[in-house]
Amino acid sequence: MENIAGKKPALTWAVHISVGLLVLLWVIPTIGLLVSSFRSGDQIVSSGWWNALFTQEQQMSPIRVEGAEVAKDGVFVVEGRLFGTDGVTVSAWGTSSREPTAYAPGDTASLDDGISVTVQADGAYALTSPVTTEGMRLPRIFTTAATPPEFSTANYNLVLFSPLAGQSIFQAFMNTATVAIPATIIPILIAAFAAYALAWMEFPGRALLIAAIVGLLVVPLQLALIPLLQIHNAIGIGKGYLGIWLAHTGFGLPLAIYLLRNYMVGLPKDIIECAKVDGATDFQIFTKIILPLSFPALASFAIFQFLWTWNDLLVALVFLGTSNDQQVLTGNIVNLMGSRGGDWEILSASAFVSIAVPLIVFFAMQKYLVRGLLAGSVK
Amino acid sequence: MEQAFLALLTIVIGVGGCVGYFWLSNIVLDKAIFPVGGPNANRNITRANAVRPWLFLLPAVLALGLYLAYPVFATAWLSLNRNEAGELVFVGFDNYRQMLGEDKFWESLRNNAIWLIVVPAMATAFGLLAAQLTDRIRWGNIAKSMIFMPMAISFVGASVIWKLIYDTREAGQTQIGILNAIWLKFDGGAGSFLLLRVLPALILLAGAAAILWVVWGQVRALSDGGTMAKALRVLGIVVGAWLAYVAVSWGFGAATAQLPYGQPQFWLQIPFWNNFFLMAVLIWLQTGFAMVILSAALRGVPEDTIEAAIIDGANPFQIFFKIKVPQIMGTIVVVWTTITITVLKVFDIVRAMSGGQQETQVLANYMYDKLFVAVDWGVGSASAMVILLLVTPILVWNVYNARKEMR
Amino acid sequence: MKSKLYVSAAALAIFAGGAHAQDLKFPVGEGAFNWDSYKAFDEATNLEGQSISLFGPWRGEDQVLVETMLAYFTAASGVAVNYSSSEGYEQQIIIDAEAGSPPDVAVLPQPGLIADLAGKGFITPLGAETAQWLTDNYGAGASWAALGTAKGKDGAEALFAFPYKADVKSLVWYSPENFEDAGYAVPTTMEDLKALTDKIVADGGTPWCIGLGSGGATGWPATDWVEDMMLRTQPPSVYDAWVKNELPFNSPEVVAAIDEFGAFAKNDAYVQGGAAAVASTDFRDSPKGLFSSPPGCYMHRQASFIPSFFPEGTELGTDADFFYFPAYAGKDLGQPVLGAGTLAFIMKDSEAARAFIEWLKTPIAHEVWMAQTGFVTPHKAVNTELYGSAALKKQGEILANATTFRFDGSDLMPGAVGAGSFWTGMVDYVGGKSAQEVADTIQSSWPK
Repeated sequence: MENIAGKKPALTWAVHISVGLLVLLWVIPTIGLLVSSFRSGDQIVSSGWWNALFTQEQQMSPIRVEGAEVAKDGVFVVEGRLFGTDGVTVSAWGTSSREPTAYAPGDTASLDDGISVTVQADGAYALTSPVTTEGMRLPRIFTTAATPPEFSTANYNLVLFSPLAGQSIFQAFMNTATVAIPATIIPILIAAFAAYALAWMEFPGRALLIAAIVGLLVVPLQLALIPLLQIHNAIGIGKGYLGIWLAHTGFGLPLAIYLLRNYMVGLPKDIIECAKVDGATDFQIFTKIILPLSFPALASFAIFQFLWTWNDLLVALVFLGTSNDQQVLTGNIVNLMGSRGGDWEILSASAFVSIAVPLIVFFAMQKYLVRGLLAGSVK
Repeated sequence: MEQAFLALLTIVIGVGGCVGYFWLSNIVLDKAIFPVGGPNANRNITRANAVRPWLFLLPAVLALGLYLAYPVFATAWLSLNRNEAGELVFVGFDNYRQMLGEDKFWESLRNNAIWLIVVPAMATAFGLLAAQLTDRIRWGNIAKSMIFMPMAISFVGASVIWKLIYDTREAGQTQIGILNAIWLKFDGGAGSFLLLRVLPALILLAGAAAILWVVWGQVRALSDGGTMAKALRVLGIVVGAWLAYVAVSWGFGAATAQLPYGQPQFWLQIPFWNNFFLMAVLIWLQTGFAMVILSAALRGVPEDTIEAAIIDGANPFQIFFKIKVPQIMGTIVVVWTTITITVLKVFDIVRAMSGGQQETQVLANYMYDKLFVAVDWGVGSASAMVILLLVTPILVWNVYNARKEMR
Repeated sequence: MKSKLYVSAAALAIFAGGAHAQDLKFPVGEGAFNWDSYKAFDEATNLEGQSISLFGPWRGEDQVLVETMLAYFTAASGVAVNYSSSEGYEQQIIIDAEAGSPPDVAVLPQPGLIADLAGKGFITPLGAETAQWLTDNYGAGASWAALGTAKGKDGAEALFAFPYKADVKSLVWYSPENFEDAGYAVPTTMEDLKALTDKIVADGGTPWCIGLGSGGATGWPATDWVEDMMLRTQPPSVYDAWVKNELPFNSPEVVAAIDEFGAFAKNDAYVQGGAAAVASTDFRDSPKGLFSSPPGCYMHRQASFIPSFFPEGTELGTDADFFYFPAYAGKDLGQPVLGAGTLAFIMKDSEAARAFIEWLKTPIAHEVWMAQTGFVTPHKAVNTELYGSAALKKQGEILANATTFRFDGSDLMPGAVGAGSFWTGMVDYVGGKSAQEVADTIQSSWPK
């Protein structure tokens, strides 16, 4: 197949460029978030993430003069530095919000009561006062400064280790894994048998059943919540892990059956018929022939189902509950968002924490998946 | 630790239970109830084969019946009732009447129609494009992973990502949303003319041409098939012609519109178009799904058909559209159906990003609002029934396909 | 049998993981707390080994705060409290109630929703003596008792929910130093506020930051504005009638109040980013203009919780402060205060649940939280010196000095309006629709 493109270099280049563009379009949103998650809140709101690698000239948030005062030559002096990091260059500064760029670095500003302030280009400041500044509210310094690019993992520290009322993200992580793994395996197993029956076994009502399954695909989850929780409460499952496994199984089944059946129908008919002629039972055909051949489809659906259950929030809230030992990762992060909602740095870091595992699973399974898909070309 | 143990136990019991059930039930069927061999061997095999499908289907049917079918019937019943002080009162079609009288309902229906046309079409098209192109280059697998990546992102994460893209700051301030940053680079000069007028107009006209090509194919095939097929074709032609008309008029609009250059835009507040900015999120999420499935199907296209075409002197475009696409039509329909159904159910994106305000309401979110915010079970259930009703054409199509396969 | 095995295994896991013994934040007997009330409760209540599940709206940092209070309850009564919360807690409580697995005690900030649940018979009434207790012991007690009162399933009115924790909404936040730099004084009447607004514009500044964005709840900050304006242009009786829809939403009084809000929000010169930015700016981002330099805006009207969203390191009192959103001097309506609050109610009756409501009556249950942050209470027996900050104390005073206290109207209205068409309508209004048009739409959406 490769040789088709190989004949025309121009076409190959066109393919490379279009794939490049497509990939770029698809990853830009995520990269934006990834870059933002390593920047401080101030940086995120003062410059676009695509500028993160460059030195930024920007208006800094005001910093209040503070520090121990020293009596020198009859005046009191407070000295300090405005910025904790090196490399910041002040280009203009001021002492009032109305004129934040009134002075150049090295200038001296005279304030009321004989107080004067000097700010150097590197952010060092000195405040001189004829009287003691003890108990006095010291002025704020407004600066316009160029800051070098800076990245830190502080946001991740905050998200992963912030002491929010016993809400450990690791616990949430465990909870999510406890939900997602059984909720991935069980429906696939059940669906595989059903899909085989619908694809290769003759029985009355087959078309009707297929129609019903397609119809059930579209049932909005939300309307099933209350009747099902009622049933769970009535038969004694209540809210808990068993309940959510069953619920995910039920909700994932139609799509699993639908996709697997469509795949199995496409398998070569003669293999199955030969096996039948040889006297194999349906059970044997299924386990010995269909299952191995359907492996790629099973693997890809497993990935999808895992991603869905991992990323689910609504089903977990309703069927599992929200106490600390039941809170899933998405729930934990949404809670964090609710309480720290305006802060991009928290949002971005926590969103990345939530997608880390699905991404790892995907990249780990990917080789497997592609190999499986290749093996599937048996038509 | 207990939790990990519990999870492990479940996997073992669940999987073991399932395998055990299928295995044992087959043994019981073959050995105990209808033994193979003995006087009635043939009759027994026939009977066993009549029962076996149901053994295979039983767990699935039970789960589906309990978890999906039962709620549907419960909802259908609720949609005919009204909850008055905790008691259900039968009111006939009052809830539907009330719903049809609400502007928001019609707005949702209109928006859903747009979503149903745009999202599956774009996601499938992009997915097919990505699947075909990445198969031909060495770094295709990396490219595929990148395009698939959004699938791994929860709706919660996706809404954060796209809020950052659509973010708007006051004019004069530094924009931190990339869309506005790009938008502000356009100044109405030659570059803007090419990229914002000529390019979209051309894309839309090309889209119209493609639709018309399909419509023309249908017109030519009009004489084939039975009455049912003819009726479907006529419907397809009418819809296609209308879509082509819309694409042409939008292309004209794009070429002539007055664009507010230099002003940061509030993307999610531009009436009507804000729907498209929400759709972009779902297209971004679903393309990876389409790509993975379609890529598998493309690899399944037999080499000999392609080689024959190459020998006949077909160019790559002809190979793709005339040889490959027809052969994977079944998979395309599956992908299209799956995404259509996702669209019908979409509410997370709308809920998180716009709350259905500013004329972006869709049916699933309308239903959610009615069920859990307004606590109006009657109307909420009625709107759920409308969503279920919308799937009927897909249902008919799939039954039709399944029947064809069986022959 | 299999399911039973799971249930007990799951239950085991819960008990193993859930037992977090929390230290008492303030040692019993130290400080100006009302320890007598604690000891009295300790002696009167002995429910060792019992437990309740508590479901509330507080998440994240607020959850830390509420759990310090709960630790005292557990220490005094022996009842273990399993607190949980979630985003979308309103929907979850509805689902759990309907499905039959409610928490023992729930706390919600929406009296309208509570009345709804009470009407369906999901809530246990608290009894007349608790109603009487509220009237006697809360400031403006009768209005607080009325908040928790609703019609039960049998149609009889009773007290169903116990108000605990209040928020003051009629506050305008500003940066004192920005005011100082520009030479502005804190206005004490609405007329002054409007004059100040014009003066700031004349000086080349932008007076207001208004942001209505809140994801799916976009629009709610505007409902607070309109409610505040209702209280400042109409007597409280009109407000009450409006909330119950005895006064239609599209009547001239309401339309005028919406336009009062529009006078601020729909004037490009008055708001940061212009009127178009109002609907899209996130309410959590909107106060940030106060702290930029030069100031993006000078004033921000928002409830007492908003400092959580101020930039890191902002000190209340020096970097940011607030004043009472003033009333018209020209109208004889006193000093109305708009507020909100949370109400606790019993969904599964038990001795322990009853004890929890009794606990909320003790001053100590209020003092432990108010000595930290973000808590204002109308409880008259608490020691106001204990407020964790000057800002809280000042809010407590505003609450105490209110001639009229009214609860957030949108929380009292039916969900379809208060959490639906009212929000949407306000977004449409700042988007350009007329007040009359918007009010007509909202009125038509009111459930019959």
